Amino acid sequence: MRAFAEWLYGTPLSVAIHSTFWLIRLLQATHLLTAGVAVGSGVMIALRAIGWQRADEPFVAVWKRFAPWLAWSLAVMAATGAAQTFGDPVREFTATSYWLKIVLLLICALGTMLLARTARRAPQATEFSFAAKVAAAALIVGWLALPLLGRMIGYDLAIWGSWSLRT
Amino acid sequence: MSVDSILASIQGSAIAEWMRDTNPAMQVVESVHVLAAVMVLGTVLIADARLLGVADARRAFTRIGREVLPLTWSAFALAVVTGSLMFTTSAPTYFYNTAFQIKALALLGAGLNMALFQLFAARGVAAWDLGKAPRAARIAGLLSLALWAAVVLLGRWIGFTKGYDFTIPPGVELEFPIR
Repeated sequence: MRAFAEWLYGTPLSVAIHSTFWLIRLLQATHLLTAGVAVGSGVMIALRAIGWQRADEPFVAVWKRFAPWLAWSLAVMAATGAAQTFGDPVREFTATSYWLKIVLLLICALGTMLLARTARRAPQATEFSFAAKVAAAALIVGWLALPLLGRMIGYDLAIWGSWSLRT
Repeated sequence: MSVDSILASIQGSAIAEWMRDTNPAMQVVESVHVLAAVMVLGTVLIADARLLGVADARRAFTRIGREVLPLTWSAFALAVVTGSLMFTTSAPTYFYNTAFQIKALALLGAGLNMALFQLFAARGVAAWDLGKAPRAARIAGLLSLALWAAVVLLGRWIGFTKGYDFTIPPGVELEFPIR
């Protein structure tokens, strides 16, 4: 993995990104701002599934309100995240936090889509099942862990110790 | 007591020492600070989007406020606690950092904007609670969004600018090997 990352670091695209002073900063800033939109939207959808937010509205209405914001912000985050990865692949690929973040992001996105599918299958139901509420609570933890792990990429060794891929 | 001596005593406090010497206290606190900042921005955006008429056009603004503000305040409280802990570790460096100073101003601006909104625009909220917000409220929403985004971005910028002093101390001569 490290050899691949080092090879990637030498490719023209990677060189173009990491040698442009302002680009990494701009990418990080955009990534951070859109994280606010993504996490806020993801958490609101999950809170509605539990019944702690907008319980007066059907889940589908809450989904329609937040899903586009979630989708667009995730798309921007994916683009800026991919560019940052290309810019400094050794830093990203050798961080345990990075891989945890990627896996967790997929779980959160899929889990949120599953919630929507469950709601569409039973549009008359006003409340989710207990199992779905537990899953929604887990999704909230997952959404909140994403920015946490994102920042931890820079501190992988200090945070994970011998579990860090940098060891 | 001068500002510098206050800053020095903050930096010399037991909590600051614990933050600096306990691995990975600083890293964990900083990561939680980022999470809190992200949550403040994400939840503030929900209320501001309603003010700006971008989303939730048919939902009462007061209702959105009641739903979202507890989340915003919780996240903000967490950001203040973690931010203060981080500040103690290098109080003078933070205090004299330009990005930090502008961030503090942006925070002050966001608070002032919120106070002015409560004093003026929110007083007549009954008239527009379910409809389009008046111009003053829309401007407050736009300002709020811009200021909170600035707070988050400047927070990131502190990390790029803090603690780098490239001044060569007097009397020190640097020699660079010629290849």
